[in-house]
Amino acid sequence: MGLTVAIDTGGTFTDVVAIDHRTGQSTALKVPSTPRDPSQSLIEGVGRALAESGHAAGDLRMLLHGSTVATNAVLEHRFDGLGLIVTRGFRHMIEIARQSVPDGYGNSFFWVKPPRLVPLHLVHEVPGRILADGSELEPIDPEATLQAVAELVEDGVRCIAVCLLHAYANDSHEAAIGRLIAERYPDLFVSLSSVVLPEYREYERAMTTLIDVLVKPYCKTYLGEAAARLSEGPNELPFLIMQSNGGVVTHATAGEKPVTMLLSGPAAGIQGAIHMAQLAGHDDILTFDVGGTSTDVAIIEDRTPAFTSEAMVEHYPVKTPMLDIVTIGAGGGSIAWTDSYGSLKVGPQSAGADPGPICYGRGGTEPTVTDAAMVLGRLPDALIGGALQLDRKAAQAAFGRLAGSHAMSPEEIAAGVLEIAAANQVFGIRRVTTARGRDPGAYAMVAFGGAGGLFGTDVADFLGMRTVISPPDPGNLCALGLHVSDVRRDYITTMVRLQSQAEAEEIAAAWEGLAERGRADILAEGIAPDRIAINRIADMRYFGEGHEVQVPIPEGLSGAEALAHAWKAFHGVHDRSFGFHYEGRQEVEMVNLRVQAVGRQARPPLAPADSGRPPAAPFGTRPVYWRGTGWTDCPLYHRNEFAPGQSVAGPCIVEEYGSTVVVPAGWDCAADAHRNLILTRTAEEVQS
Amino acid sequence: MNVQRKPRALGPIELEVIHGTIRAAELEIEAAVERTARSPMIRDQHDYRVALFDAKGRKLTGRSYSAIVEPVFEYFGADDIHPGDVFFWNDPYNSCGGIGHVPDLCTTLPIFHGERLIGFSQVFGHHDDIGGSVPGSLPVHATDSWMEGVLIPPIKLYDRGRLNQAAFRIITRNSRLEDHLAGDLDAEIGAATLGSRRIVALAERYGVETLEAAFEQILANTAEIFRREILPNIVDGVYSYEDYIEADGVEPDKLHALRVTMTKTPEKILLDFTGTDPEAKGPINWALDEVEGRYFRKWLAPVLRSLAASPERAAEIDSNEGVLEVIDVKFPDKGTLITPRYGKPTGMRFFLMLRSLGVFAACLSKATGGRMPADHETIRIWGLTGGQTREEFFLFREVLGGGGPGRPWADGSDVVHIVPNSRNLPAEFSETRYPILVEQLALKRDSGGAGFRRGGFGYDKRIRALVECRLISNADRSILGCYGVNGGLAGGSYGISVIDVDGTETVHPGMSDTVTVRPGERVRVVTSGGGGWGDPLLREPARVVYDLQCGLITETAAREIYGVDVRLEGRHWRHDPAATADRRARMATSRGRPPMFDRGSAHAALKARGMVRFPEGWADPDAGWDAVDHMAAE
Repeated sequence: MGLTVAIDTGGTFTDVVAIDHRTGQSTALKVPSTPRDPSQSLIEGVGRALAESGHAAGDLRMLLHGSTVATNAVLEHRFDGLGLIVTRGFRHMIEIARQSVPDGYGNSFFWVKPPRLVPLHLVHEVPGRILADGSELEPIDPEATLQAVAELVEDGVRCIAVCLLHAYANDSHEAAIGRLIAERYPDLFVSLSSVVLPEYREYERAMTTLIDVLVKPYCKTYLGEAAARLSEGPNELPFLIMQSNGGVVTHATAGEKPVTMLLSGPAAGIQGAIHMAQLAGHDDILTFDVGGTSTDVAIIEDRTPAFTSEAMVEHYPVKTPMLDIVTIGAGGGSIAWTDSYGSLKVGPQSAGADPGPICYGRGGTEPTVTDAAMVLGRLPDALIGGALQLDRKAAQAAFGRLAGSHAMSPEEIAAGVLEIAAANQVFGIRRVTTARGRDPGAYAMVAFGGAGGLFGTDVADFLGMRTVISPPDPGNLCALGLHVSDVRRDYITTMVRLQSQAEAEEIAAAWEGLAERGRADILAEGIAPDRIAINRIADMRYFGEGHEVQVPIPEGLSGAEALAHAWKAFHGVHDRSFGFHYEGRQEVEMVNLRVQAVGRQARPPLAPADSGRPPAAPFGTRPVYWRGTGWTDCPLYHRNEFAPGQSVAGPCIVEEYGSTVVVPAGWDCAADAHRNLILTRTAEEVQS
Repeated sequence: MNVQRKPRALGPIELEVIHGTIRAAELEIEAAVERTARSPMIRDQHDYRVALFDAKGRKLTGRSYSAIVEPVFEYFGADDIHPGDVFFWNDPYNSCGGIGHVPDLCTTLPIFHGERLIGFSQVFGHHDDIGGSVPGSLPVHATDSWMEGVLIPPIKLYDRGRLNQAAFRIITRNSRLEDHLAGDLDAEIGAATLGSRRIVALAERYGVETLEAAFEQILANTAEIFRREILPNIVDGVYSYEDYIEADGVEPDKLHALRVTMTKTPEKILLDFTGTDPEAKGPINWALDEVEGRYFRKWLAPVLRSLAASPERAAEIDSNEGVLEVIDVKFPDKGTLITPRYGKPTGMRFFLMLRSLGVFAACLSKATGGRMPADHETIRIWGLTGGQTREEFFLFREVLGGGGPGRPWADGSDVVHIVPNSRNLPAEFSETRYPILVEQLALKRDSGGAGFRRGGFGYDKRIRALVECRLISNADRSILGCYGVNGGLAGGSYGISVIDVDGTETVHPGMSDTVTVRPGERVRVVTSGGGGWGDPLLREPARVVYDLQCGLITETAAREIYGVDVRLEGRHWRHDPAATADRRARMATSRGRPPMFDRGSAHAALKARGMVRFPEGWADPDAGWDAVDHMAAE
C-alpha cells in the first residue's frame, strides 16, 4: 500500500518515476508518448509502474503529472475555432498588439508580423464600458452581446475569449457575458480575462486569455478522460497536475485554467534540483538543465525560485505567474559548422533526438557538441549500460573534416566547439543573473538533464562559479521533481495607488480577500489547514517606472502590517535588483497585490546511499583531451561506487547509467549521502 | 580545462566567443536601460541606443545605430581619458554630428584594462524633458537651438569617479521632470558600466592583443558580408531621388527637399546630397557634416540589409564600423537642411532621418528593378499636456507607429515603429495615469498603400480629454503619403484633429503645440500607412476579400483599386473569379504600365500648384522610371 507515481510527458518519451512510501524504493522507466491521445501514455505509464514495482492498482496513492500538451497546442499553431469579444472601439487590439518590432533598429523594413492567434473578422465588439477606477460608464447590452456570439458560432468559433477594458478592476461585465454564453451555448469553451489574469494591460491580458481558451479543449478533455479511467474504483484518486508556477493542482482546477500548464515542463526539474541541492546543503542555486536542443536555466534563492509574468510562448505573451526560466537554444545536439566566411559556429541548428549526434549511429551526419565530447574522450564507448553504443571513430572523422577548413587539429577544434557552446550558455545565464543584478559566483550550479554533467564546470569557469552539483539520475530529475512539489495557486489583483494617497484599509482588505480565496481553494484541493501557507507579494515601483519589482512579505504578516512592510522593504528590493534606490526622495507606487497559496505536500522518503560502502577506485583510465594541456590519461569512476564523503581530484570522468560527469583539473569531486556529486573548484584563479 | 590561462592568439574559437560576447553584451546593456530608465520615451518607446566601441572609437556592436565617441577625442584628447570618467553631452552642434536634437543625452564611459584604454561603452536616450519653451522639449515653432532646451557641450559628468555636482544640478534643474531625468541618468550610467565589464572580462580571458585583433576581424567581416551578399544585388550606375518635409513649423506652404545622387560601383556606394534645399527656419534641420559623416554613414547603411537573401538573414547582419568600408557620403556646402549653420533649430530632425532612409531606398529600388521595400515613415510624437501646478503637471506622450512598407516577400506590418521594441501605451495604463479616456484604438481603413503586397495600416485612435489640455503634435507626412514602389500606391497620410462636443471635427497641422483641448473634446490621431509594393491588380483576390471581410479596406478599394469583383452574401464577402479577371484586364489596359514610384494624389496636386521645384541641373527623379513586372519576367 502506498505508491506515488509521477509521469512527465515529453514530445517523444514519457518519463515515469514511482516511489514506494514505505521503503523509499523508487522505480524509473520510460514509455513512448502518444501525442494524439495523451491520456493513453499516461494510463500505460501507470500500469507499467505498478507492474515493475510489484504493486496492484489498489496500492496507487497519488498520481502526479507534467505535460507539454498545452505548450504544443500553441507551438503547433492550432488556432482554429478561436474567437474574441472586446470592448467597443478595441476590435483591432490584437492586430495592433504593442506595435513593437523585435531585434535591430530598422528591422521594421523587412520584419514580417507573426500569425495572429485570432483573425480580425473573428474579433467582435460589444457595448459596455468600465473605467479605470472600476466604475461603470456604460452598461452591457445582452442582446447585442448574444448577437455577436451567434455570429462567431456561425463562423465556426468553438472557443471564445472575453477581454473587456478594466475588467481587472470590475469583473461584473465579463461575468455577466460569461453567464449569457453559458446559458445559450453550454458547449462552447469560454475564458474570461478577469478570471484568467485580473491584471492591467489589455493586450497582454487578452493574449493570455486567448491562449487559455485555445488550450482548453486539449487539456480539459484529456485530463478529464484520464481521471475517469484512473478512478474506476470506489475512491477518487488524487490526480495532480504540474503548473508553470512550479506547484501542482488537481486536474479539475488545471482544466479550468489550463494556461497555467504552459511551459510547465522545466518547472518540475527545478523542483527536483531544489530538493537535491537542499539535501547537499545549498539553498542558493542556479539550475542548469541541458537537453538535446535546448538548455533551461533559473536562479533560486533560499530554495525559492524567482517568478516572472513576462513569459512568451513563441511570439505570444503569457502573463500568468511562471517560474522565471530562460531557455537557451543550445544543447548537446547543437551542430558545429563553418559559415561561408570561415567562422566557426555552434548552433542554433540542432540534431535533436532524431537523428541525434553522429556518435549515436542513428543517421546523424552533422558534428554536434556531444560528438565533440566524444572526440575529446569525455564520453564512454557506450551509454545506458551498453544499450547505446557510441561511435567514436565516426565523430573523429567528422571533426577531421571540420578541422580541415581551419588548419587546426580535430581535437583542438572539438575543444573549441565545447568552449563556444559554453559561451553560448553563458550569454543565456547572464539573462537570469547579471541582467537581474545577481552575481553568478554567489550560487551553486545544479547541472542536470542528459548533458549537464558534460559542460557544468566549463560554464562555471566562465561565470566565476565555484560549486557544481550533479544530482543522481540527472536525466530523470523532472519526474523526481513532481514528487517533491507542493500544491500551489496564484492570485493577483491590480491596485495602482501612490503611497502618499493610498488608503491602507482598502489595500489591506483587497489583499486579505485574495488570501482568503487562496486558503479556501487550497482546502478544497484536499490539503489539511495546518499545511497551508499564504505568501503575500507586492508588485511595486517608483512612480514613473515601467517595470515593477516583486516585494515578498515575510510569513506571518498580513493586512495593514504586510502593507507597511511592503512600503518599507521596497527600496531594498529595488536596490538589490537595479543597484540604486530613492528612499525618502521619490514617490512609491503599488501596482499589483499577489498571493501565493501553498499546500505543503509530504516529501517522499528517498533511500540514501549505502554509508558502509568502501571508497570507489577507478575502474580504468582513458585519454582525455583538454585545451591548453593536450591528451591526459584520466581515471574513470562509476558514480554508484562512490562512498558517501569520498572525494577525488580532477581530472577524471565519472560515469553512470544515463550520463557522464566531467571533472577537469582544478576541480574536486565529492559524493554526499544522497548520491549527489559536489564538484568544487580548488584552483585559485577565477576567470569571469 | 586549465584555470591559469595564457593569452591565446586569435583563432576561430576566440573570435566566435568574443563576437558572441559583444552581441550578448549589447542586449544586456539594452535590458538594463529598459529595466531601470524612468522616461516613458526611453522605457516604453525604447528611444535609446547603446553601443560598445574599441579604443579608437570604432563601433563594435551591430544591432543598431548609435551616437559616436569622436567628441571625447576632439574635446578632451587621449591624455585626458581616465578610469571612472563619464563623458556627457547633448549639443547638436558640438557632438561631431552624433547627436541630432537636445533631448538626446549621451553618456560615454571609457573602458580600461589596468592602465590601458581598450574601448568605450555608450548609452544615449531620448529624455522626457530637458527644458526649453515647450514641455517635452520639442517646440515646433523654435527658430534657434536655444529655444529647444538646455545645451550641454561635451563635459565630464564624472571625473575619475567623482560626480560633477554643479553640472548635475544645473542639468536636472532645467528639466520639468527632474526626477525622471535623474533616474534616467543613473540607469544609463549603470547600464554602460555593465557593458564595460564584459569587455574587461574578455581582455582578462584572452589578453588585450587577442581582443584587439578580434575587434579588427569583426569589423572586416562585416564589410565583407556587405560586399559579398548585398553589393552584387545592386546594378552599378548613378541614380537620384528626392523627398520632402512638408512643414517646418515656422514658414507656411513650403516643401523642404532632401536630394541624393547615389553612385554605385562594384566596391562601394557614394551618396551625394548636393542639391538638398537650404536650411529651414524651423526645427527640422539636422547637423551632420562632421568627421567624414561617420555617424550619418552608419545611420544609412542598415537600409541595405533589405537586399539580403531573406528577412531572416537581414536580421542577422550587423552594422558596425565595418560598414564605413562600403558607404561614403558627400555633403553639400554649409547652409542646407543637413549642413545647417550653427544654432539652427533641430528638434524634429527625425523627419530627415526617415526621409534620408527613404531617398536612399528609392535609389536602391531603381538599381534593383524595384526589389526594395516601399517607403516607411514612422517617427512622430503626439501628446497631451496639462495641469495647473507643478504637482498636477502631466505629459502624456506617445510615439505611434505607422504602416510598414509593402515588400516583395510580404505585406507591410501594421502600426510598426522603426525603433525596435518601441511599445505603445496600453489604454488601461494611460487611463489610470492621465486624465484621458481612450475611446478607440483601431487601424485606419484603406491607409495602407495598395499593391501586390500592400503597405501596412496606420492608427486611427481617438482619445477624450477629461481636463483642459494642450495638444502636442510633432509630425510630418501630414500631406504627402509614403511612396509606393514598383507599381504599388502611396499610403495614407498623418492627420490630427479635435472633435468638439457637438461632433465638429477641426483638422490641425502636423506641427502643432498651441492648440487647447477642452474637457470632453476628443483628439483623433491618424498615422500614415506604408507604401504599397507591386501592381495591386496582381494581388491574389482571396487576400483582397480577406482584407475586406476584416474591414481593413473598403468595397470601393477592392473594386476600383484592386479590380476584384466583390459582392456581399449575408455577412460574408465573395468574389467572382471570371468577372475579376475581366475587370482587371480592362483596368490594366486603360491604365498602362504603372510607374516605379507613386507619391499619391497630394503630391500631384502640389506639383500642379508649382510647389515642387527642381534646382538647376536636377531633373524630376520620378520621370522615366516604370515598374518591372517580375512575374512576367520569371
